[in-house]
Amino acid sequence: MKITDLKVAIIGGAPIIRITTDEGIDGIGAGETWKPYLKPMVEFYRDKIVGGDPTDVERVMIGIRRWGAFKPWGTAVSAIEMALWDIAGKASGLPVYKLLGGKIRDRVQVYNGSVRFPMDGKEPEHYAENMQKMKDHPYNFSIIKQGVSFHGGMQNVKDFYYGTPVDIIRYPNRGVITGKGFKYLMARIEAMLDVLGDDVGLALDCGPGMTITDALKLAKELEGTNIMWLEDMVTGDYTPYVLADLYKQVTPYTSTPIHTGEQIYLRQNFVELIERNAVNVLGPDVADVGGIAEMKFIAEYADLHGILFAPHGIGDGLIGLAAQVQLAAVLPDNYIAFELPEADPAWWHDIMETPDFSVKNSHIEVPDTPGLGIRFIEEEAKKYLRDEDADFFDN
Amino acid sequence: MKITDMKVAVIGNAPVVRIITDEGIDGIGSGQSMKPYQKPMFEFYRDMIIGKDPTNVERVMLGIRRMGAFKPWGTAVSAIEFALWDIAGKAAGLPVHKLLGGKVRDRVQVYNGVVRFERKGNEPEHYAESMQLMKDHEYNFSIIKQAVSFHGGMHGDIDDFYYGDPVFTGRHPDHPNRGPITPQGFKYMMACIEAILDVLGDDVGLALDCGPGMTVSDTLKLAQELEGSNIMWLEDTVNGDYNPYVQTELYKQITPYTSTPIHTGEQIYLRQNFVELIERSAVNVLGPDPQDVGGLAEMKFIAEFADLHGIQFAPHGIFGGLIGLAAQVQLAAALPDNVIAFELPQAKPEWWLDIMDGERFAVKDSHIDVPDTPGLGVTFIPEEAKKYLREEDAGFFDN
Repeated sequence: MKITDLKVAIIGGAPIIRITTDEGIDGIGAGETWKPYLKPMVEFYRDKIVGGDPTDVERVMIGIRRWGAFKPWGTAVSAIEMALWDIAGKASGLPVYKLLGGKIRDRVQVYNGSVRFPMDGKEPEHYAENMQKMKDHPYNFSIIKQGVSFHGGMQNVKDFYYGTPVDIIRYPNRGVITGKGFKYLMARIEAMLDVLGDDVGLALDCGPGMTITDALKLAKELEGTNIMWLEDMVTGDYTPYVLADLYKQVTPYTSTPIHTGEQIYLRQNFVELIERNAVNVLGPDVADVGGIAEMKFIAEYADLHGILFAPHGIGDGLIGLAAQVQLAAVLPDNYIAFELPEADPAWWHDIMETPDFSVKNSHIEVPDTPGLGIRFIEEEAKKYLRDEDADFFDN
Repeated sequence: MKITDMKVAVIGNAPVVRIITDEGIDGIGSGQSMKPYQKPMFEFYRDMIIGKDPTNVERVMLGIRRMGAFKPWGTAVSAIEFALWDIAGKAAGLPVHKLLGGKVRDRVQVYNGVVRFERKGNEPEHYAESMQLMKDHEYNFSIIKQAVSFHGGMHGDIDDFYYGDPVFTGRHPDHPNRGPITPQGFKYMMACIEAILDVLGDDVGLALDCGPGMTVSDTLKLAQELEGSNIMWLEDTVNGDYNPYVQTELYKQITPYTSTPIHTGEQIYLRQNFVELIERSAVNVLGPDPQDVGGLAEMKFIAEFADLHGIQFAPHGIFGGLIGLAAQVQLAAALPDNVIAFELPQAKPEWWLDIMDGERFAVKDSHIDVPDTPGLGVTFIPEEAKKYLREEDAGFFDN
């Protein structure tokens, strides 16, 4: 089998790719919903993969992997890998998990980073009310993540930290949190913990932007509570580097789990974090790290060092969800849960035929459909194609 | 002063950026001449810089730096930084080196990675003949770089160079072939290197661009065999070139065990990604590229950081073009004494010299004089440059 073309379209904001072959089988992959600007970069890889055998996934990847980088520049490589697995699965009549070593669980756990309700204010009671709604959601989430500190916009609260926010959205403001700011932060976290009690674990997305000492102070204050992890406190999110040494000054000194990794591309860039036990939980994103097989290796590698795995995925959409489910089914027991992506916008459900991905008790059943298990309903999907992408479904 | 627009054009295959301000001063920067595909990515940053004051370079950079990454994804951020310095220099009436702390030297040393002659074959004598031509070149280079091993395509030039079948033949950017070198492969490589060293004698230093693709033990073996010779450095042996990671641990198994200098770094973006290499003294020489690392000020910090740890600095720059050359000269003038030489970029195609006004950067005895013209020291001659604009870039010089 040979790859004949790589097509890319922006559908609902997400760069969606479709790889076609000379045997009529195609495969699909996707980048995060908020990365439409990556379309030209996906096209950059076309000539590098056309003619390759998509069922030898690794051999195709060898030719493009070095052309990716930290988020958002690993998205195209990752999305292409998803599509290759989709083809390899369909060609063999097997779900992708069978090609990744086989599933070791029949349902996979998800956590809530995407089901949100508008906040009525910024006081502790508003955080509590809002958390109550998430707790009451029919998905019955076992873990809920909330943005706080520099990740939750608290830097814009007067005197939250010793510094003036830089007025640029892509810049992670950072600095020392004031005494007042720290109390403000703790009051909101405690209000949420009260709501969740022992029923649901709380994950906090905190930065980047916190200093090492503020991060350690927060972690120590929260010892003994049901905090699942503190995410991206000092680096992470979109920083194009790791700085494992910063985490090494936090993680060994607290029992509160420390988490990072969503922006990191390829296993080689996890070496310092993993081998020095610089964090307790890793959360790479399958649509940024270099793909599904790359994620599996990193999870096993982390497992050798007692590090847990909670993949990022909020913006991965319905196609990313399908990939996450296949992946989570095969990960070792250091797997906690992945961040549930949602169909965004909701009409994605109208344009794709999917297995039952409904969430029950914070879990999704692993489907047995070949490949990623999903396919476009072309006549419906075409309604949402931009003019310049009109031929996306043509061979 | 405020940035009003950022324009991008592909000129002679290089992505070139022009930043325009409300005070009529503009600034230029560019990526390397083999990166035309980066044009849309340059445009990605436009909205993030418009409205900012280009003379507060760092404040503008804060807003875009985190959206770059390892080569080639740091190119746009780096080229924009060049253009900001160009504007800041012109606005102040100062050459960029004055804004980088001032020049500590009046001429800067370059090494030859770009002036090449056709090699008539792959035998040691052909390597020697070709090296003789480079040695005799009028620039009188003090250091010449030659590609060997996996970087020189030796795995395609002779049979059984290494234990493995190349994924791609020749020097293919998409995948660096790698594996253990066979005994006959090693002998062949040594014969070629020795033939080159004989030509250069004690007159000119030899740098070898070797990979990536070599194993740790082959690298150490090569480094040890070459001890006592005039090797300036072995570059990118186990990692580097285009690999989107650092792998400091591999270099830590080589560098401490040989007196032959070990070099890497051209693909690395931002200071944070040099921490392990530098603080653990994992290499002897660093060679970031100002058009990939995040810009001139980023290079300067990394050079000083490296200097604290006894690491030398020999910037990469082969494909930087005339604009890249102008930037390298300003930068090299301001670097500490750990700077050896930067890799000379050339104006390619040669019509670049017809479309730009200002400095010519003549090379004498492997050195270039540092100019005092404001900004980067080169400006477009729009009426000449327009001849080489693609149709879709026709508005590049309009305000």
